[in-house]
Amino acid sequence: MQEQQEQREKKEIGGFLPFHTNAFDRVFISVVILIGIHLLWLRFMEAALPIEVATVISLVIGYYVVRRG
Amino acid sequence: MRNPRTGWLLLSPTLIILLIFGFAPFLYVLFVGFNQWNVFSADDGLVFNGLDNFRRLVFDDDFLHSVGLTARFAIFAIGSEIILGFVLAQMLTRNFPGKSLFRIIHTLPLMVAPIAVGAIWRLLVIPGFGPVPFFLDRWFDLKYQIGSYPDQALWTSVIMDVWHWTPFVTLTMLAGLSAIPKEPVEQAKVDGASRFQVFWYVTLPFLRPVLLTTVFIRIMDAIRTVDEVWMLAGGGPGTRFTGIYIWRVVFPRTDYGYGSSISLITLYLTIVLCWLLFIAISGRRKGEVE
Repeated sequence: MQEQQEQREKKEIGGFLPFHTNAFDRVFISVVILIGIHLLWLRFMEAALPIEVATVISLVIGYYVVRRG
Repeated sequence: MRNPRTGWLLLSPTLIILLIFGFAPFLYVLFVGFNQWNVFSADDGLVFNGLDNFRRLVFDDDFLHSVGLTARFAIFAIGSEIILGFVLAQMLTRNFPGKSLFRIIHTLPLMVAPIAVGAIWRLLVIPGFGPVPFFLDRWFDLKYQIGSYPDQALWTSVIMDVWHWTPFVTLTMLAGLSAIPKEPVEQAKVDGASRFQVFWYVTLPFLRPVLLTTVFIRIMDAIRTVDEVWMLAGGGPGTRFTGIYIWRVVFPRTDYGYGSSISLITLYLTIVLCWLLFIAISGRRKGEVE
């Protein structure tokens, strides 16, 4: 039990996000951000800039969240 | 030392069933969501249309209105259920005359099927027939017509949901309250804590897992509410929640592609909402002790 707790603490890192996260959490947050940015882009930005820009922005943010979140 | 393969072997029937009946339909809806598929259109097969369904969705005022209505419904219904459920659970931890009878009567709505709940409430509030509009008109001179006034329809849906689901919240809260050890509560009282302080610093932290689970279940239920509200108001103004909107798009209009994309976004909103609540309530924020 204690071993499991220690392993979990080892996996959880202290990044810039305001809560403790593990790898799955950070990938999940990246996917949530990706979908959110695309939906907002379709609504407000697509007339000015193509959707591919949203994809690039979300992938960059996603990568940053996964590495440093 | 147990072999980890044994665990996976024992889990495999459940996992296989979950994959077939849970994950495969989700993948199918995901696939259909990126296609145009309307059996009444000129081309009645699946036609890949990329993000067009989602493009249409973010500009669909009816859908956005339904999301707003569902949010209002969920906030008021779940908020009321949690407060009422907690008060009733606290009451049921004490002894009073007729407690057993009260517990049975209080739990009865939980046993009624949602479609029957909708039918019962429709009979109660139907103008010219139900007792509620009759007495409201007679005693308060209030015109009560859920088919004409969207606000009345929304509030009736909220009250109906509270009536139906508060017993569930009470039972889960009662289980949570029964599991709280007496010592910390008594220690807090000996240290001079007020009733509110005992509730806020002792009872509530112990209740957090139960509260979290109950709120999750109720959020998911409230967002997908269809049958009760459909029976009550027939999808009239004030009750066009997301579930009813999806039903309208998928069945009468047979617009399966667009309906799938709305379902996916509804699922997305539900997951995000539950996850944010989980972070807020579960104590995973930095600087908090779990």
